[in-house]
Amino acid sequence: MKGIQFILMTGVAFISLYFFIQLKKRILDFLLLGIMIICAIVFILWPDLTNIIAHKLGVGRGVDLLFYIAILIFWFVVLKLYARIRKLEKEFTHFIRQDALSKAIGSANNEQDGKQS
Amino acid sequence: MQLINDDIFIIIPAYNEKLVIREVVLSLHAQDYKNIILIDDGSDQNIFEEIQDLHVHYLKHYINLGQGAALQTGFCYALKQGTNICVTFDADGQHSAEDIGRLITPIRENKADIVLGSRFLLKKESNVPIGRKLILKLARFVNFCFSGLLLTDAHNGLKALSKNVLEKIFLEENRMSHASEILMEVSKHKFRFLEIPVNIHYSAYTIQKGQKNFDSLKILYDLILFKLFK
Repeated sequence: MKGIQFILMTGVAFISLYFFIQLKKRILDFLLLGIMIICAIVFILWPDLTNIIAHKLGVGRGVDLLFYIAILIFWFVVLKLYARIRKLEKEFTHFIRQDALSKAIGSANNEQDGKQS
Repeated sequence: MQLINDDIFIIIPAYNEKLVIREVVLSLHAQDYKNIILIDDGSDQNIFEEIQDLHVHYLKHYINLGQGAALQTGFCYALKQGTNICVTFDADGQHSAEDIGRLITPIRENKADIVLGSRFLLKKESNVPIGRKLILKLARFVNFCFSGLLLTDAHNGLKALSKNVLEKIFLEENRMSHASEILMEVSKHKFRFLEIPVNIHYSAYTIQKGQKNFDSLKILYDLILFKLFK
């Protein structure tokens, strides 16, 4: 095993461990991550495989193919994160709104007005 | 004796409008609108200090959420108070309280469910800055693409909504794209709508406080994401 392969494999191992701990109850994410880890290991150990697949898909080099796939994954992650942010925003908007409604100041002024008129 | 405007609630979302808010509320009182809901949208300034001796329902968001969220909070509160018509009114003093009467009449006469103010229907057009005018004209077509409604004024904060509308819509867009979201809801629920000419007063203060032309891109971005994640 070459030095770079060792470094990348160690990185993949640590990231995988972290994500498996985080995602143990989410089967779909778990499967998706599993497939990605297997691909990473295979391509790290047999880098020429990427060239063979790339040629079959009409891409010049394996590195280019990985780059294109990385862009797609990046988009997917951004959209997924954005969806999560929107969900969170909706939740805290609800809490802030409920707080504002429960602490509304209005009746006191109404009474005051009633006395004045 | 019940006042004629007793069931009308004016909703004012405000963010750091300490300088003008009292004047705006007093202009509404002068027109006999007693039910004013002021939503302080997480202002850094103490707005309450300015209006605490006035007849105002004051609600505060502890974090700045945006105008859309503030309006929806106002709608929820107004419905609890038994409103029949809600009027949305900007806090920076660009709207005229005198226009409200013309906005609520079609709802009172059951000719419309929602009435939208338009600065471009006036015979003598308001002194709309040229950049703003171009953006608003373009925004009409963007709104048309999203809602199927081609209005004369795309983003006018002065609107009157009937109780029927308030019960059926729930604004999810916290920021400025709520104006387009309302149009989408009008289209979806097939509400009867009308556009009425209203005055917009542009001063150095309202231009400085109001939306910048660049904000229109942010609104467009929010709208696209709203459609994607609805």
